[in-house]
This record gives sequence, structure tokens and C-alpha cells, in this order.
Amino acid sequence: MRDLKHLIFFENLLQEANNELVKQAKSEGKKALGYTCYFMPEVLLDLPGCFSVRLRAPRSGSPDMATYYMSNRTCHYGRALLERALEGGFNFLDAQMATETCTVTCRFQEHLDRMDIIKNPDFFVTFTDVPFKTNENSVEHFRKQLQAHVLDELSEKFGIDTSDEALMKAIEEHNEVCRIITEIGNYRKLDNPPITGYEFHVIQLVSLTCPKYLILPYLRETAEELKTREPEPAFPFRCRVVLAGAENDDPEFTKLIESCGAMVVADRYCYGTLPGREQIDVKEGQSPLDAIARHHLDGSYCPRFMPREQMRGRKKYLADVVKDYNADGLIVASNKFCEYWSYERTMDALILPRDYGIPTCSIEKEYVNASTGQLRTRFQAFVESVEIKKLQEAK
Amino acid sequence: MKKTMLDKAVRKESRKLKRLKKAQKIQKRVAARSSAKRSTKKRGAGCKVLKVFGKIFALLAALYAALFAVFFFDLDGKLMYYVVEPFLVKHYDKMDRKNPLDMPYEIKK
Amino acid sequence: MKLPDIKLPKPSDLTGKLKAFAGLFPDPRDVKLPKNAAEAKKAAHDFWYGKPHGERRLGDLYLDKTGLYKHREWRGVKDTFYYFHMIWLYNYANMVMDIMKFGDPITFAKGLWRYRWMGQTYLPVLHWFDRGLEGLRGEALRASAWHYRAMTCVTINQFMNMFEADGNLRNGAHNDAWHHAMAHKETVWGGIFYPWADKYKHIPLEMIPYFVTCHVNNHTVLNYIDAAQSIGLPGDPCPMCQAEAGLFVLDDMPDFAPFMVSSNEACDGSVASTAIQDWFFKGPLFAMPQPMQFDDPLVQEHCANEIRECWKFIEEQTGAPFNLQLLNENLEKQNELQRFEWEKWDVAAKTNHYPINGVAQALYRIYQSQYGEHFIWHDTDKKVSKILTKCVEKKIDTFPKTRHRVIAWSCAPLYYSNWCTWAYNCWGLNTIINMDSLMFDMTIRTDNLDNTVMDMARYHEWAPMRRMAVGGMHHIFELWENMERFNCDMVMMYDQLQCKGMQGVVGLFEDEFRKRNIHAIWMPHALPDKRTVSRGEIRRIINDYMSTVMKEEPLDPSLLEFDDDMSW
Repeated sequence: MRDLKHLIFFENLLQEANNELVKQAKSEGKKALGYTCYFMPEVLLDLPGCFSVRLRAPRSGSPDMATYYMSNRTCHYGRALLERALEGGFNFLDAQMATETCTVTCRFQEHLDRMDIIKNPDFFVTFTDVPFKTNENSVEHFRKQLQAHVLDELSEKFGIDTSDEALMKAIEEHNEVCRIITEIGNYRKLDNPPITGYEFHVIQLVSLTCPKYLILPYLRETAEELKTREPEPAFPFRCRVVLAGAENDDPEFTKLIESCGAMVVADRYCYGTLPGREQIDVKEGQSPLDAIARHHLDGSYCPRFMPREQMRGRKKYLADVVKDYNADGLIVASNKFCEYWSYERTMDALILPRDYGIPTCSIEKEYVNASTGQLRTRFQAFVESVEIKKLQEAK
Repeated sequence: MKKTMLDKAVRKESRKLKRLKKAQKIQKRVAARSSAKRSTKKRGAGCKVLKVFGKIFALLAALYAALFAVFFFDLDGKLMYYVVEPFLVKHYDKMDRKNPLDMPYEIKK
Repeated sequence: MKLPDIKLPKPSDLTGKLKAFAGLFPDPRDVKLPKNAAEAKKAAHDFWYGKPHGERRLGDLYLDKTGLYKHREWRGVKDTFYYFHMIWLYNYANMVMDIMKFGDPITFAKGLWRYRWMGQTYLPVLHWFDRGLEGLRGEALRASAWHYRAMTCVTINQFMNMFEADGNLRNGAHNDAWHHAMAHKETVWGGIFYPWADKYKHIPLEMIPYFVTCHVNNHTVLNYIDAAQSIGLPGDPCPMCQAEAGLFVLDDMPDFAPFMVSSNEACDGSVASTAIQDWFFKGPLFAMPQPMQFDDPLVQEHCANEIRECWKFIEEQTGAPFNLQLLNENLEKQNELQRFEWEKWDVAAKTNHYPINGVAQALYRIYQSQYGEHFIWHDTDKKVSKILTKCVEKKIDTFPKTRHRVIAWSCAPLYYSNWCTWAYNCWGLNTIINMDSLMFDMTIRTDNLDNTVMDMARYHEWAPMRRMAVGGMHHIFELWENMERFNCDMVMMYDQLQCKGMQGVVGLFEDEFRKRNIHAIWMPHALPDKRTVSRGEIRRIINDYMSTVMKEEPLDPSLLEFDDDMSW
């Protein structure tokens, strides 16, 4: 396939948290607001006057300093973020909009709060409590939290306009990003998509890590480009897989899977689009904040949710995604030391093959994937098993 | 003649006296023997009660000593460790158990 | 007719076995008779009063590897016979009576035969007493033992309740007891169920099959951890949650209730393990999570509403209405327990007359406050109160060999909860208080229902481990003010290797210990799993610190090194 026009540009943007577009926005006087979790609605951080930056630590090495603070028995992602912060890689941030949604990223954010790491005198950290259910009590709670710990803080500290009008404008921009990403993502449902999983992963990541108003023109162009992009003459992969799991902000991981012959047709992981890029629908008479709170609770399949119907519903959702994207199998990947996904992955590997007949590969990875040889072997074996299953079914 | 009759009477009386004395002696002896027998009987009954109590006390003392020995030499622990626990563990290891992974995972319940 | 071959044991086998058997007992050749009048006088004194601390050589009593005793400690005539009568005999007798009181022996036997955690753990329970009470004398022995007695009583009550209701023991049939039981995760506070306490029994799912077993016999839980990992769970998540899931995987969870209430206490692991438990639990499940950022006033109403929702769920499931009077009665009784706990802390903090050792303090507190109201807590507190008063009035130094007052911080090693008994005997480290004792640190208002529910919400947020470990680092750093409050000069910093929350703050603690010049010993452990860090390793770490950093000599050198790898 012909290379996407802006792919290299996107790849370069992903080499640094403080990338070219972030620097541009900062120079225009916008406030950079860092966050790590889906439950911190990025739309609120993209209000006029500020922009959201979902934190990554690209090109991480060994997080030695962070390991002193957080031991080597915590998720590498959290430690890599702390390491990057200690190195000065996040000094551009004006605030960290934190959530106590997973222990390790929470500890990372608490370190930011407690230690004088970010060299910015106006820098502050604010914590939002996120509920574990989606009932009315939880929605109301979440709404109050977002109002107090996000909107009021932004208004008080940075003078950001947090009125309903401003929120609606942010939602509009957010929805456009979602529309474009979803449109691009839907190509993966085709039998021979004009986009690879890797390319899509890169596109999704730039939409999370760059100021929306600056990345949008590029996303629009890419969407246009894809309308006429010719795919390979024949589907170049041996099978199609859904990639599910925990935090995954490394497109090289997707590239590794695809180099083994499995196209990643759907991304059901933190930093992914399923869910993550659905448009926010504000109903008649509904406040925008209420719509945002509901959207993020109702639309999430995070393993934090505890009610039975949600715990079990996640399996069905995965099965539906596999069906929707015509996938042949499922890869569930979690970071080592991720408490939630260790259990979720175990359940997925048991339930999905048994009850839905979906071949499932369950793997544990690091944030920095040094042991690509081992992963490659696992993926290659999985692809072969999927092929054999397809052959047997064809017979 | 009169002397002889008197003598006879005296002799008769003295014989009577002798017989009376003998009888008294015998009576005394008999009385003494029976009272000895009675007191021996009394001493025996008391002994039996004491013996029973003694046996109970000895049993309790032995039990107490045994319990103390069990306690002091940690015999209860040793029994559990070397006999009871291994026996039970073997039993649990051999038990038929249902496989919970066969349980259905109904999405809607 | 051919006679069967009978293999007679070889003489050497028999001799070996006899030697091994004899080795279980003290060697009479080790008994040293007094040689002169002075020695005879000392021997008589030691016999009557017990040997002084430095001469006891408690380590010599152990049988290699097993932790069994060649003979139990001679604590002097008075204390030894107190132990024999009022601890050993008393507890054995009361255990039997408790089984009769809370059920019947047949049901008990069935439960014992069916469940590994029952048979493998609870029969050697007196040895748990022995380990925790080693070396204690006088009022410390008495007060600490009452705490153990209370925990044993509640444990028996709970498993008899389970067995009485258990469908597994009745070929799947559900009796009246089953219909009147309420199951919940062990980290759901028992007080939530007070409004139904007259007719319904709340029974934590894992407290007896998992939590208490780790203290009594640390081998049992390993089966459940391995079971969880056998279905693909990685080895690094919190082993408590692994074991809780493993109970179901190994089909060792009684079927004793028609519904269950789960919670996110204490952390991510509890949330995640609920997904596995949910699969294997046949009845309806209600999730009652608490907010993480519990200092935030905005979260309290939300938390209170979750409790109200839980009550609605229970009403729907049982058909029994919420009883406010019963709730208030039980809360008031619980408040009584809390007030006495504060009195105890006061004595512990300000004097050296506190008669409860570290392990009794820690386990009793966590059990009592997490489980909720039970008559035995009040009985125990009455007895302990008398002892406490006596110690204070007569100024009895209950731990006279204290060299350092220790505060134990973070999640404790369950398989070595009596490390503090060893530490006192060997090094004079007296564990005055520990982090988990300090949670649930409040009384609950009963003036009106709204206030009650708000306080209950706060109480439940202040649950074990989470009170300090979540909601902001400032909680975990309450260590400094508690050190001051309890006049402690040393910290035993528990380092639970699989607790992501605590692993996430190790560096800052190191920095603070250095900055404040505090003697802190890091004690690595894996909560219930002794295979990761053994008891011997824990002792070595403490020994190393005490000898190289503190440059102290042990009070009892026989306790420095011994092998208890296979002990309970």
C-alpha cells in the first residue's frame, strides 16, 4: 500500500510527550493538562484555553530512579511515567488531572503531587474519584467529582471557561475527532482493509497525545486519503485478531503482532478506541457535564466495574467485537503487575474459547517490550493454531 | 448320815456354782467373741468406701497427670502433626471434586 | 495352604523409628542436676518462678523444622499451671462446648471431612496459642490469651454457621439455615448486616477458609493460591485475592447462602477477584464499593447511598424488612468495644503496663472490628479490663525486657503474625501497635438514620489496609504522628511484595526514614504465602539489623537461628 502522507509525521510526534504540536500549543498560551486514564474525560481537558495530553513514556529505557521510588514489583507503565517525569520529560505540564482508578498510576500521580518533580511553579495535581458502578448514584457522584475536581479547578486556577457553552464547543470538537477516528477504524472491518492495525494505532495515539485543534487538520486529511487508498491486491495477513487488554500505548507492539501474520483489526484496550472514540450525545434538556459523565461510565468496559451484569457483559462485548470485525481470534495482553487485567485476562482465556469458540492468546508483557523474541514465538504459534482451526472448519 | 446329806448338798451347790461360773465364763467368752466379730464387720465397711474414693481419686490423679503429660510434652501437637494432619491431607488430596470451570457463565441471569 | 508373606520390619527400621519417636521428647541426659546448695537453691527458685528471661533458651525447646516442642515451656509453677488449666484445658473444653453450642458434633465432623481448610487448619489451633504466647508471663499471658480465646470462639461460630447451612453437606439441599444466611466478602464490614441480626446470620466467605487459616496453619492457603494460578492467573497479584479466588477454583467453598455482597475493599485485587468469585457463586451478587478518595467530603453521600442500596438488595432477597432498632442496638454495642479499644491504646501509648502482646493486639482488633458485633468480644473485654486495671493500679511492667517500642506499619505477614512474640523474646522488641489496629477508628452515631449511615459510610471507608493505603499518600505517612502518639522509637516496616499500593511508596518511605533518622526494619513478605519469604528469612533480616545497625546482643541467643520451615 502507498504510505499514508502524515504517517511519518505522526510517528515523530509519538517520539516525545512534549512533541512539536504540544510545544506549539504551549507557545500559544494554552495549558497542557496531563492524564492517564479513560475515566478522566479528555473532552473536559480540551476546553478552550487548555488541551489534554494522555501521558506516555516513549523510548523508555530502564526506569532506575522510578524503581527506587516504586520498587520493581509495580507496573512498568507507572514506573516509566515516573522515570520520565524525574528526567524532566513532563515539565511542560501545567496540571495533572489524576484519577485513583488503578493503584500504580495513582501512585505515580501522587509522586507528582508530593515531590517537586514538575518544574513549573503553577503545576498542580487534582484527584477525581471514579465510581465502580454505573447506577444513578454513581453517575451523580461522578458528575459532582468532575465538576469539583476538574472544571472548578480549571476555572479557579487557570481562568478556563467551563460554562455549558464552552463544554458544548469542546464536545463538538471531540465528536469530530471521534467521528474521524471511527471512520478510519471502520475500514478494518473490510475483508482487505486499506489500513493496517499499526497505522491505526499510530493515528489513535496522536489523537490522544496532541492538542485536538492542531491534530484535527491532519486527521481530516488522513481520513480523506483513506477513502481512495488502494489496499494490497490480496489481504496480506494470515488471520485477523482483536487486541484486548490493559494499557497499551506502544504501536511497535501492534507492529510485532502484524509482523507475525495477524492483522490487529480492533483495539479493545486502554488507549484504544473500543470503547474510547464514541461520540458524546447530549440529549435535549441534559447538561453537557451529565452527558459526559454518563458517556464515560455507560460506555466503558473497564474491569473496575463490579456489578455482575457488567463483569459478565465484558465477555460478551469482546465476543461481539470479534464478530463485528470478522476477527479469527483474540489476543489479550496485560502488563506485568497489572492487578485488574491479570484476573480479566485469565477469565477471557477461559470463557471466550469455551463459550464463544474464539481462539484466545493470553500474554503478559512489559511496557518496554525487550523480549520481543518470546512474544514473536507466542504470536506465531497462535497464528498457526488459528489457521489450522480455519482449515478444519472449512473441511 | 446328816453330814453326808449336808456334804451332798454342799457338793451339789458347789457343783452348781462351778457350773454357773463355767457358764458365765463361757458366756463372757462368747460375748467377747461376738463383739470382736461386730467391730471387725464395722471396720470392713468403712474401708470399702475409702477404697472406692481412693480409686476415683487415683483415677482422676492419673488422668490429670496424663493430661499434664500430654500438655507438657506437646503430645497433642505431635499427634496432630504426625498422624492427624497427614491422614486428613491424604484424604483431601484424593477427594473427588467438581470442576468449577465447567460452570456456565451466563451473561444474563 | 500357602501362608501370606508377612514382611516383618527390619530391626534397623524399628530402631530408627523408635529413635525418631524418642527424639520427639526431651533427652533426659540433658537434665543437669544441681551440684551444690547454691545451684539447688537456684534450681528451686527457677522451678517455682520460672527462669529469668536471659536463661530461658526457648529455641532449645523446638523440634527441628516442625515448630513442635520437645516440651512446652516451664514458666514457673503459677504460670505453667495457669497455662495448663486456663489456656490449654480451658480452650480445649470450650472448643468442644462451642461446637455443641453453635451446632452439633455430627455437622462439625461432616464439615471437617469435607473441607481442607477445616481439617488441615483448625485442629492444631492450640499450637497457634503456643506460638503467640511464647515467653509470656503474668498478666501479659492472661490478657493476651483471652484475646486468642475470643477469636477461637468466633471462628467456631462462623464455621458452624457455614456447616449448618451448607448445601454441599446435604447433597445440594438448601435448609432453613441456608435461607437465613447472608454471604459477603470478608472485607465487607459485618455491621452492614446488623439490621437483620435477629433472624439472619452474616457469614464472611473467606474469613474462616482463608484469613484465619493463614495464622493457624500456613500450609493450607498454599493449596488455594496454587489452584488460582493453575487456571492461568499470574503469580504477582495480591496472594490474598488469589487465595480467595482459589477457594472457589478448588471447590472448597461451602454453599451456605442464597446471595452475596461484594466490595472493593481493600484494593484493585479485591475488585478483580470478585470477577472469578462471581462466576462460581450461584446466587445473586450485590457490589457495594467504597470510594477511593475517602477524605473528599463529596464522596460521603455517594458511599452512604451505596449502603442504602445494599440494604434494599438484602430486603429484596430476604423478604425481611430493615430493622432500625436492631441496627442501633448493635452499633451501640460496637461503640462500646471501640471506646474500650481507645482506653487500651491510651495505656499502651503512655505506660509500660499494657498487658497485651503485639500479635494478640493486632489479630483481635482486626477480627473484632471487621467481623462486627459478637457477645464474646464483650466478655473478653470485661476480663481484659480487669487485668488492665490491675496492671495500671499496681504499676506492673508487663514486658520488662522491652528495649525498643515498635510500631508495625503496612500490611502484616499473616503466616508469621507471631513474629513479634519472637522479636520480644529474642531482642526485646515490643510491638506496641500496628497499622491495621488503627483503622475503623471511630464510633458511629445512632441519633438519626442519616447520621448513622454517613458514619457507617466513613467507617467502611476506613477499613483494614485501605484506611492507610489508598486515598492519598498522606494516609500512609500517618506513621509519624502515630509513632509519636504511641511513643515508639522503632518501625517494623512490613513490605508486602505483591501489594502494588505499598510497593508504590517504598522510596518515599526510605527518604523519610533517613530524613527523620528513624530506625526502621523492612520486613519483606507475601502476606499468606510463606514460600516467597520464609519465617527464617524474616528472622535473619531482623537479626542482621539488630546486630549490625543497633549493635545489640540478643536476650535469648537460642532464638537467633532455628529451622521452622515445615511448622504450622
